[in-house]
Amino acid sequence: MSTAPAEAEERVEALDGETAKPWVTIVWNDPVNLMSYVTYVFQTYFGHPREKAEKLMHDVHEAGRAVVAHGTREEMERDTEAMHGYGLWATFSKDA
Amino acid sequence: MARRFERSRRGVTATFDDDERALLSGLLSEVSQLLDDGTTPSEDPLEAMVGTGGSTTPPSDPAVARLLPQAAKDDPDAAREFRRLTERGLRQRKRDGLERARATLERPGPLVLDAEEQHAWLVALTDVRLVLAERLGLRTDDDAEAVLAEVAESSPEDPRVWMASVYDFLTWLQETLVGALAKQLPRG
Repeated sequence: MSTAPAEAEERVEALDGETAKPWVTIVWNDPVNLMSYVTYVFQTYFGHPREKAEKLMHDVHEAGRAVVAHGTREEMERDTEAMHGYGLWATFSKDA
Repeated sequence: MARRFERSRRGVTATFDDDERALLSGLLSEVSQLLDDGTTPSEDPLEAMVGTGGSTTPPSDPAVARLLPQAAKDDPDAAREFRRLTERGLRQRKRDGLERARATLERPGPLVLDAEEQHAWLVALTDVRLVLAERLGLRTDDDAEAVLAEVAESSPEDPRVWMASVYDFLTWLQETLVGALAKQLPRG
C-alpha cells in the first residue's frame, strides 16, 4: 500500500468466536491501494469501527496479507467478489 | 489547476480545468474499454441478469488480470469456477462505474457528486491507478519506490515520466476523495 503514515504497528487480535467458521477471506497487500482507502473499504463494507479497520489494514500492509472475514464458503466468495469490486486483491480458502 | 475533493452542503465537490477534465475522461474511458472483452451478454436470460457464464481463464493483459484477479490461490478449480460465475458481472459493474464517473465530467461548472457518483469515482480512481501501476511495473511496495525514483531521473521523452506524473495526480485526487468521504463515517 502507499502513503504509509509512521505509526506503530499493532497485531490484530483474534476474531473471538469466529474461528469455528471453516472458510476465510484474505486480502493481500499491493503497492497501489492507499492505506486510507483500504481502511475506508473495511469500515464501509464490513461495518468495522475505524480502529478495527485500521488494525486490519496495517496487518495487510505489514504482513502482506490478513484474514478479513470468516464464514461459509458462499459468504467468503461474496466477500472476495466485493473486494475485487473495490480493487483490492482478495482470495477465499478453507481455514488452515 | 485541480482543486481537491471536498465535502460541502451539496455533496462532494471538486474543480478541474479543461485539460484535467479531458485527461480524466480519457483515462476513465480507456480503462472501461480495456474491460470490454468483446463478448455480448449471455443469451441465457438468467446468466445475463446475474453476469455469470463468463470466461474461466485469467485475462491475458496483466492490467486487466489485476482488475479481475484470481480468487483462490492454491485451488485452480475453485478459481476457475469463481471466475465463470462472477467475472462477467464484475467487468460490467466496473465499466458502469467508470462510465458513471466519466459522465459527471460532461456537466458544466465545478463537479458536484451525489452519493452514487462519489462511490463510482472512488472505485474508478482505484481501477485507473491499478492499470497505470501495472503499466509502470509497480507490483510490490519495493518496486513502487524504485520505479518512481528511477522515472524521476529519466529523460522527459520517456513515456513513463508522463505516466508517473498522471499516477501521482490520481493518487493525490483519490486521497482527497477518501478524506472527504471518511469525514461522514461514524467515529469510533
